[in-house]
Amino acid sequence: MKQIKQVLGGELRKYTMVIALVALILIFHIASGGKMITPSNFQNLLSGNAYVLILAIGMLMVIVIGQIDLSVGSVSGFCGMVMALTATNLNWPWWAAVLCGLGIGVLIGAWQGFWVAKLGIPGFITTLGGMMIFRGGVIWISKSISVPAPAELKWFGAGYLPEWGPSFTGMNNSTLLLGIIAIAALAFMQLRKHKRTSELKGGNEPLWPVVTRIILGAVVIGYLTWLFGSGRPGTSFPIPGLILVILVIIYHTITQRTRFGRHIYAVGGNKSAAALSGVNVKKTYFLTMLNMSFLAALAGIMFVGRSTAAGPSDGNGWELDAIASVYIGGAAVSGGVGTIMATMVGGMVMAVLNSGLMLMGVGADKTQVIKGLVLLAAVAFDVYNKQPGHVSITKRLFSTKDSAAKEGSPAAKES
Amino acid sequence: MDDSLILQMREITKVFPGVRALDGVTLKVRRGEIHSICGENGAGKSTLMKVLSGVYPYGSYEGQIIYMGKEAMFKNIKESEHAGIVIIHQELTMIPELSIAENIFMGNEVVKNGLIDWDAARQRTVELLERVGLNLDPDTPIKNLGVGQQQLVEIAKALSKNVKLLILDEPTSALNEADSANLLELMRGLKSKDITCIMISHKLNEIAAISDAVTVIRDGRTVETYAVEAGHVDEDRIIRSMVGRSIENRYPAHEPHPGEVVFEVSGWRVEDPNIPGRMVCKDSSFFVRAGEIVGFAGLMGAGRTELMRSLFGHNYGIFRGGSIRLKGRELHIPTVSAAIEAGIAYVPEDRKTLGLNLIDNIRMTIVSANLKAILRGGLLDFDKELQAAEQHRESLKIKAHSVDVGVTTLSGGNQQKVVLGKWMFTEPEVLILDEPTRGIDVGAKYEIYRLIHELADLGKAVILVSSELPELLGMSDRIYTIFEGSITGVLDSKDADQEKLMRLMTNSSAAKPA
Amino acid sequence: MKKRLSMLLAAALMLSLALTGCGNGRDAGTTSDAPETNSTAPVQSQAAEPTGGFEAGATIGVSLPWLGTQNWKEADEMFKTQLEAAGFNVIVQAADNKVPQQQQQIEAMIQNGAKVIVVGPIDGSQLGAVLEEAKAAGIYVIGYDRLLENTTGVDGVVQFGSIKTGELQAQALLDGLKEKKGDGPYNIELFGGGPADPNAPNFFTGAMSVLQPKIDDGTLVVVSGQTDFTQCATIDWDNSKAQARMDSLLSGFYSDKEVHGVLSPNDGIARAIITASEQAGQEIPVVSGLDAENESVEWVWSGRQYSTVAKPTDVLVGKTVEIIKSLQAGNGMPAADVSVNNGKIDVPVYELPPVVVTKDNAKEAFANDPGRLELLK
Repeated sequence: MKQIKQVLGGELRKYTMVIALVALILIFHIASGGKMITPSNFQNLLSGNAYVLILAIGMLMVIVIGQIDLSVGSVSGFCGMVMALTATNLNWPWWAAVLCGLGIGVLIGAWQGFWVAKLGIPGFITTLGGMMIFRGGVIWISKSISVPAPAELKWFGAGYLPEWGPSFTGMNNSTLLLGIIAIAALAFMQLRKHKRTSELKGGNEPLWPVVTRIILGAVVIGYLTWLFGSGRPGTSFPIPGLILVILVIIYHTITQRTRFGRHIYAVGGNKSAAALSGVNVKKTYFLTMLNMSFLAALAGIMFVGRSTAAGPSDGNGWELDAIASVYIGGAAVSGGVGTIMATMVGGMVMAVLNSGLMLMGVGADKTQVIKGLVLLAAVAFDVYNKQPGHVSITKRLFSTKDSAAKEGSPAAKES
Repeated sequence: MDDSLILQMREITKVFPGVRALDGVTLKVRRGEIHSICGENGAGKSTLMKVLSGVYPYGSYEGQIIYMGKEAMFKNIKESEHAGIVIIHQELTMIPELSIAENIFMGNEVVKNGLIDWDAARQRTVELLERVGLNLDPDTPIKNLGVGQQQLVEIAKALSKNVKLLILDEPTSALNEADSANLLELMRGLKSKDITCIMISHKLNEIAAISDAVTVIRDGRTVETYAVEAGHVDEDRIIRSMVGRSIENRYPAHEPHPGEVVFEVSGWRVEDPNIPGRMVCKDSSFFVRAGEIVGFAGLMGAGRTELMRSLFGHNYGIFRGGSIRLKGRELHIPTVSAAIEAGIAYVPEDRKTLGLNLIDNIRMTIVSANLKAILRGGLLDFDKELQAAEQHRESLKIKAHSVDVGVTTLSGGNQQKVVLGKWMFTEPEVLILDEPTRGIDVGAKYEIYRLIHELADLGKAVILVSSELPELLGMSDRIYTIFEGSITGVLDSKDADQEKLMRLMTNSSAAKPA
Repeated sequence: MKKRLSMLLAAALMLSLALTGCGNGRDAGTTSDAPETNSTAPVQSQAAEPTGGFEAGATIGVSLPWLGTQNWKEADEMFKTQLEAAGFNVIVQAADNKVPQQQQQIEAMIQNGAKVIVVGPIDGSQLGAVLEEAKAAGIYVIGYDRLLENTTGVDGVVQFGSIKTGELQAQALLDGLKEKKGDGPYNIELFGGGPADPNAPNFFTGAMSVLQPKIDDGTLVVVSGQTDFTQCATIDWDNSKAQARMDSLLSGFYSDKEVHGVLSPNDGIARAIITASEQAGQEIPVVSGLDAENESVEWVWSGRQYSTVAKPTDVLVGKTVEIIKSLQAGNGMPAADVSVNNGKIDVPVYELPPVVVTKDNAKEAFANDPGRLELLK
């Protein structure tokens, strides 16, 4: 078991949700008679949920700084509508319309950030206001009528990568190329990291965990590549999924590897301590709120692409889906805790539940009930695991006695 | 059975996963005495009290508790309170927005016909407040009281529950000298009314002043218990038992090597952010030489912390004028990050609320004030971070098995070392230490003192703010005194004693510094 | 114990790989039991072209917007019973009025290998990409009750003539005013349906084609002056929003006047209007309706609501099932009544005639509907 730990890199606890997700997929695959793990269903999972997951990226950052954004659904709807209207009614080229929609998103973000950062209005209230303002705005500018979107946008919301090259590969070659790049990147980064750690520690780090990690990663990526690439001809890894992956990489880097990212966690963990460490708290609030609305605009535009039209009720309730993803991903309500990766897993848990229950023909009513229960269960599980005195369930599954004894619970020490 | 004992805890053992927090602790408390429990942080004092009060319910520990002649089996705090055992915690637990009466009867409301009888509650509150020597309107909101008064209200609340055994956990840690003295006086009064007190404390002078018996706990075991005569306690004996070794001198020897004046503040004026027109710093001027340790003495509320925080990038109050010179160059530092950039570091007085992000681990805390130093190609470099953290863990002797350990799991002394490490990593020229040894045990204090000396020897200008006059006298080269926002004097510590300092700290008519 | 658990987990993982690893080639379509794609059928072309049909027990998907009103609840039940009776494997799902939910439900139906998908859209213009995906998988898409706009992925739409419905509502309003409120001029107000529903503007247009001449000649007076569809629309067909609007109209314009009649696009809104009028102390105005909901049938029978328009769900479902059977038999889409441009293509539309119901003809109108007949007592 120690070997497993070495391969996965420390804390097994963070894999709890991943295990739950895999289990969920398998259960649904069996229960639906083999309809879950298919190329088209996985493509749908990404295309159909990319917008929520993109919102969840921004929402994670907002929740980490200890705020909340209730307006994202309305902002998504508003920006999508602005984009559709400029393209259809003003006859702007599609790319100009998209830029306009994103620009409006940034402006809205600056507006919300102004109230939160400069005036110190709690995010909850600021964005509750924003929720109403921009929902009203959508209905106002659209006159409550759906507006068709430029055809090019469908590519962003529901498109696929091009087909090219030889057919003997048996799959979409663009997807294959992506998979190869991903595996190569994984191997490169792992090896580089290993090289630098062993330089640091005097060259005695064992190589086998790294190699095992690369092989395991390659198998998973390879399998997914094959799954996405071998669907109906003309389909591939979906464009919205690709946009999502790129965003996840960018935002993972921002949150984990930049000063701004550290500042987000510092402000959320202890605002006063952060201020005394030289963090500009207001600026951090402002940029995080601004970023949220920008991502909301992007999500809204992608959704319009998938729907082929912008509707007056676009975005209704999306904020709640995004918030649920973040909390299932283990973020703390009080702020300071949570990662993009875990949030994505949380979002996928919701998406897989939705999809699996639909495949089984369960109605929207019961689906809602089940999703609600899962949200509660996931957060309760997290809280239980973090409580002093409880040995986490993952640890119970994987650990041997001595490792449990070594890591004492914090409660044992006096404050 | 000995009738004179109100409480006997026999062979108490409490095990947490992986840690034996208490290992056969025995405690005997006589009826009507003031019994002090001392021990380093992490020794098991608080755990013992949690066992006694039912926070850790009967059955979750081994051993026996005999209380008032019967074996006690408390399942929760409610049961122990019912039996007359009340704990007053280090962190006060009252609700600031509610009134004194509401707080005192919270969870224990005076009910008549199913409704709260506020008249009766107020009446009883007045009586209770009298008993603790407070003359206040029972409708005053708690937030309007000072910390010392709040502490007394907590005790009044305990009295309302017919307390027989009162446990005070570090009762004076947040109080100034006058309030502390007042509280100790009250404890003597309670003793005469047949209320037994257990006091957990670090402050040896207080223990010496009022205790009838002392129990020392170290590493989850009882080291020794002995009866003492109040006012005649051998402090060195207690220290020896606590740390398991004798500390010859509580302040390490140090030969100062002051250099040129590096840090110079003149005419510094700051207005209170909440009360317009009230100045918290009135035209303050002082200087610090390289390699010099300069103490700042003042009573609670005199404006020491306010002055330091406003110097540190205007972090407190509204700046109304004044200038800072560092090595002769005038500084413009309106933000904290500019202050850090300029080479100033401020270690705040309250570790938990101002010094640390309690979610972080040691690694992330050490670099948090100087992320620039671990950048590589615009991104944070975790290898550099690890190196920095390991280096400080070693040099500061932080006791933790890895730098990935969360800071909440550390003892107070180690937390403070992490905070010091965080500021040393910014490579400052001027280090402002605000109450650097508050709430940490004797052993850790000694190490912190040594660190301060090392910093001075490196040529840093060190400012030491402290409420403990012996500490200032033992550590500083010069001491400034502050009274109501004004610097009222400066003394060479060779010439100073507690009396002289206290005179300057309370009397604004004393001579201004040159 | 711990070891066994982790072994189990590992085994489950292997199993999943094995399960999915087989029988799922690039050309096998979406799933192993996915439609043996009508690769011979020219799926791009519209309707009417005879195809090979499909097996009798095939899967049919029905996606409804929600089950919050009686007509959709009825449709839900009727589709289930009628299609099951015809031997099909039926999936009926409702989307809680959320567009993304409906998109995903339709995708799940494609996954489930449906041969025909019947879509009662929440917003007829927001399903474009998904329906085109269904088309590409060789599935027939039939719009139910509402037009599917802005997509090439539709083979036909079954609905009641919406313009005609509007005309009938307006005519019933005029008849009612003459019957109940003596000679004109009459004070009236206008309400429209949910703007996201493509039928709503059509109802309104149909109604205005009857009412506008009477407004012009002074027989009818719209006191508030709100005669534009966007002014009168009721977002999401939400009764409470309609009631709030009626409240404010009454307090704003009718403090010293009587409101004689109100054009209402459906029964829920009609009842909201009547309730608001009663609460404002008005004599109950003549109010039109639509859908013949149970509650409103009772109200019509007791005289509180003047009329409703029955769009018998059984007729609509019956027509849809008839088309599905024709497709199954290989006879393609039957000939349509009219063709309507949906923004991308001309869609064949099967229009069914609605029936106006007042107190006078209620018994005859529901002669074949024992449930509603029961209410007329």
